[in-house]
This record gives sequence, C-alpha cells and structure tokens, in this order.
Amino acid sequence: MAGITLRAVRKSFGEVAVVHGVDLEIADREFVVFVGPSGCGKSTLLRMIAGLEDITSGEISIDGRVVNELDPKDRDVAMVFQDYALYPHMTVYENMAFSMRYRGVAKDEIRRRVGHAAKILDIESLVARMPRQLSGGQRQRVAMGRAIVRDPKVFLFDEPLSNLDAKLRVQMRTEIKRLRERVATTTIYVTHDQVEAMTLADRIVILNHGRIEQIGTPEEVYDTPATVFVAGFIGAPPMNLLPQQDVLMGVRPEHLVWHSGSEAPFLSGRATVVEPLGSDTLVSLDVAGTQVIARLPPKLVRRAGEEVALAADPANIHYFDRTTGNRR
Amino acid sequence: MRRAPSWPRHAIMIAVSVLMLIPFYWVLKTSLTGENIYAYPPRIVPVDPHLYNYVDVWYLIPFPRYLLNSLIVTAMAICGNLLFNTAAGYALTKQFPGRRWIVLLLLSCMLIPFQATIIPAYLITAQLGVLNTHLGIALPLLSTIICIFIFKASFESVPRSLIDAARVDGLGEWRIVVRILLPLSKSAVATNVILTFIWSWNAFMWPLIVTRSPEMQTLPLGLARFLSVLEDTTGALYAFVVLVLVPGLAIFLMAQKEFIRGLTSGATKG
Ligand SMILES: Nc1ncnc2c1ncn2[C@@H]1O[C@H](COP(=O)(O)OP(=O)(O)OP(=O)(O)O)[C@@H](O)[C@H]1O
Ligand SMILES: [Mg+2]
Repeated sequence: MAGITLRAVRKSFGEVAVVHGVDLEIADREFVVFVGPSGCGKSTLLRMIAGLEDITSGEISIDGRVVNELDPKDRDVAMVFQDYALYPHMTVYENMAFSMRYRGVAKDEIRRRVGHAAKILDIESLVARMPRQLSGGQRQRVAMGRAIVRDPKVFLFDEPLSNLDAKLRVQMRTEIKRLRERVATTTIYVTHDQVEAMTLADRIVILNHGRIEQIGTPEEVYDTPATVFVAGFIGAPPMNLLPQQDVLMGVRPEHLVWHSGSEAPFLSGRATVVEPLGSDTLVSLDVAGTQVIARLPPKLVRRAGEEVALAADPANIHYFDRTTGNRR
Repeated sequence: MRRAPSWPRHAIMIAVSVLMLIPFYWVLKTSLTGENIYAYPPRIVPVDPHLYNYVDVWYLIPFPRYLLNSLIVTAMAICGNLLFNTAAGYALTKQFPGRRWIVLLLLSCMLIPFQATIIPAYLITAQLGVLNTHLGIALPLLSTIICIFIFKASFESVPRSLIDAARVDGLGEWRIVVRILLPLSKSAVATNVILTFIWSWNAFMWPLIVTRSPEMQTLPLGLARFLSVLEDTTGALYAFVVLVLVPGLAIFLMAQKEFIRGLTSGATKG
C-alpha cells in the first residue's frame, strides 16, 4: 500500500525530449488513469515509474522512498502489458508463480496465492495450460493474475484492454472495476480510450505532448475542462468549439437542445449529416462555416438540409483563451 | 481442386537419400568385412560380417584415450560456446556506444581464415601455458562469431515486453538470459551445439599443432596416426571411421528438428 509522487519528471531519448516536467501526487489506493493521444508519453511515464526506463531528471518516489536509482525488482511494482507478455514456455500456473520464486516465497504460500488469484479471476480451470492455448480474454486475465499474486505496492497497467475486441473490452472493463473492490492497491492505468478512463478512474491525468493538461476526477475533467485540448479529448463526440473574437466558446453536443422559445436561438444552421443512433440522433450542422455536432432526441431532425435552431444553458458554455487555450 | 499426387516427389527424395547413404553403407560394410575396397565386382551384401575390426581398434590402439580426449575437448568447446555466445549475443541486442563498431569488427574477423591466425593463436596458447592440454585444444573453439549472431538474431525475436515483464518480476540480466531467452531460443542453442560439435570433433590442424604427446591426441589425429602405423588396415580403418562418426550422428539425430529450424529461422517469421 503506497502513494506515488512525481516531481518535475523529465525524459529525453537522446536529443528528443518526450516528457517535459511532470508533477503528480497519487494517494495510497488511488486508481489513476493516464489518458492522451498516441505518442504523448503515457507509456514512457509508466515505464519510468516501473523502472524500465531511466529518469532523465526529476524524482519519483513510491511509498515515500525515492526510487530513481532502484531496479524494477526492488520497487515492488507489478505491471500488465498491452500484449500481456506471458512467458510462452511456461504454464499459466508457472507464469503466475514465476516472480514469487525470486522473492523467497514458500512453495505452499505460492500455491495458496496462485489459487486465490485464479479464483478471483475465474481461471482456475486454465492453470495447467500454456499461454498459446488461451484466448485473448483469458490471456488478459492471466496477465492480471500474475500481477495480483505478487501483492505489490503498485499496479501499473499499460493499455491492457486494447488488444481485445469491443465487446470483450467492455466486459473486462467491468471486471477490472469489480476487481478494484476486492484488491485495493494503488494503480496507474494507461489508456487512450476516454470511456475506459471515465469509468475506471478515481482521478484522470490528461497528457498531451509530454505535459499534463489537467488532473481531476472524471466529473471535473468533463464539467470544467482546463484547456481546449481537454475539452476536445474528453467526451464523444468532442465538445464543439466556436471562435468568437479572442475566445473559443465550447459547448458539448449533449448540452445543445432544440430551440423552442421566442428569443433568438443560441445557434442555428443547416444540418449536413444526420446519424440516428436509436436512443438519440447526432446532427452535424454548418454554423457560419464551423462544424457543430448536436446530440438531439430521435426524430427531431430527419434528413440533411433542414434548418435547425438550437439553444444552450449558459451554465454549460465554456470559454477558452484563443491563444493559450486555457480556460477563462 | 485435386492435389498433384505425391509419389513422384517421394520417389525422387528416396532416390536422392539412397545416393547420399551409399557411402555410409559402404563404410559400414567394409568395417564389418575388411574386404578390399578395390575388389571388382564390388559386393553389395557383406559376406561373413564380424566385429573383429572394432575389437582391434578398441584394444590395439589407444582408441578409448582418443575418444576421451575428443569428448572432453568437444564438451569444453560446447560449454564455452554457449556461455560466451549467449553473453555476447545478448550484449549486442542492447544499445551502447560503439556497438556498430563491435559488430563490424566481429563481421570482419569472420573473413580471416583460421590458418592465418594459427601463429598468433599458438603464441597466445603458449603464453597461457596451456599447450598440450585439453583447454589448449579447445581454446580457439570456445566462441564462434557466426553463432554469436545466431544468438543475437534469436534473442532479438523475443518480444521486448517479455524481458520487461521478467525485469519487473525481479530477474537480473543473467536470469533473464537463462530463464527467458534461452528457453525461447532452443533452435539457436541446438544449432550452436551441432556446429560446435562438428567443428571440434573434426578439428585436425589445431590439435595437431598444440598437442605434443600421443595421450593428448584427439580422434582425427589418432586416425591419421593409425593410417601411418598399421598395414592392411582397411577393415580396422573403416571401423575407426564408424566409431568417429557415431557420436556426431547421434547428436544430430537428437537435435535435427531444432537445428533445421535454427538455420532457417529468420527466413520464415515465427
Ligand atoms: N526507446 C525510444 N527511443 C526514442 N524515442 C522513443 C522511445 N520510446 C518512445 N519514444 C518516443 O517517445 C514518445 C512517447 O512514446 P510513448 O510510448 O510513451 O507514447 P504513448 O503515449 O504510450 O503512445 P501510445 O498510446 O501510442 O502507446 C513517442 O514520440 C515515441 O516516439
Ligand atoms: Mg503506449
């Protein structure tokens, strides 16, 4: 059980700076999700915390102890990799028991812990198999089992669900959530899927180009995005951004409503694309040359070409500085 | 769609195999009969086969001694190869300053024929004081550049995340090599073992140079000595040849599946 602190952490590969000074405080037992576009440095940051990558400058501490110079094996972290990284020449049982053999855990204790983890993850019937005899979802479970049995101070997940198909991903997401209740260990979870981030996280860290754009609970980053980047990244479809003199005005598709009153509408335009999703309909509008998407109740707009007028609650409108991108 | 019948292909392969096996058969037959190899017409089936030639080889000359020497030297060479080549191969999978130059140096060393290095090799061996010892005979064979590259290629094909996982699981570099990389490089190991065995088992020139006493001689030297010592040696000579060949064949048969995969991996991925 341990907190993690990052102080001005930087990383360069040769000349190329990839992470530019990250400060972050993660509380004991907290589940923190790193999100950001591809190449923004999420994995690099995670690997630095794991000890797989040198820290160019700055300081990382786990449980109050600076770990910059510690090998991964002395940091007491467990990591789940995107491709699962199961040892192909060992059975599921051996995979899960492997790390404990090098930590002086007694045979009986190993058996007990592997049995326990296998039970939690519902893979008891698979322990004698080789990894190549497992499906993607089963491998994923084994990879998590391998992390759980260690009972480490910190779990690190690097896009653990990205190799699964959409349906299984949703199922595993729920399962990770359920696992959280049973195994409350400090966790950092990397993903570029914002739904995963929103559903799993206690706090979300949004990264862009090796910098933190915002840290906050899922509600905070959704309700009060700190920058234009966050506004565009969190939420699907993303927030509409309308330029107005020196500010960008942001409003989410779901906060645009059908205009009915007599006062002037918030915005109006011609529908260009109409995408019925069943529960609601996404309507793309052309508003004075800017593309705006609105999530409207079904059947209000039936086909492209119709004129649409929409209203918005002023409380749901966000303003960002046009040059800095920061919230106003 | 109908598949082409497979028997013509099999027939050709059987014919080629028979052609390849004839010399072996001839050696075996002659060792059992001792008949003159120039006899005409040659007999296909051995007439009164017997094992006296083998008995002669075993008892009349110090065959067991040669065999032991060969076994010791070959075992040393194989152990040395596995140790040094895995270490060097693993090192070359990592990035470090000067890595390119080291690769280049190794590759260019492969161009130098062994004969050209005999004198320096002899001087070094003499300096180390291991002339006329098993270690001295095995010394130049303790590592082979080509096998370093076989290991390097094999290690590089192991997914990097496996190595990372092992590191997080608490393994140091040596354990990563022994517990993760080598078990996943069985074909590279088999290739290295077989090639080293062949080179060491058949080595003639170097053992001839560094051995002084007959007790240190290996099988190929013994064979040569044998030729010059005995008369009418046909049968015994062939028995000797069979005894030299058998261990190599045994090793090859045991490891051939991995061996072939090792030589062709990289050609087909996975
Ligand atoms: N070993 C390396 N050498 C040089 N550059 C690297 C190395 N590893 C990563 N990078 C660079 O660092 C940047 C961040 O990479 P990183 O893998 O952390 O991105 P990521 O956020 O995890 O992306 P993704 O979502 O695609 O996994 C990238 O631009 C990448 O090219
Ligand atoms: Mg990544």
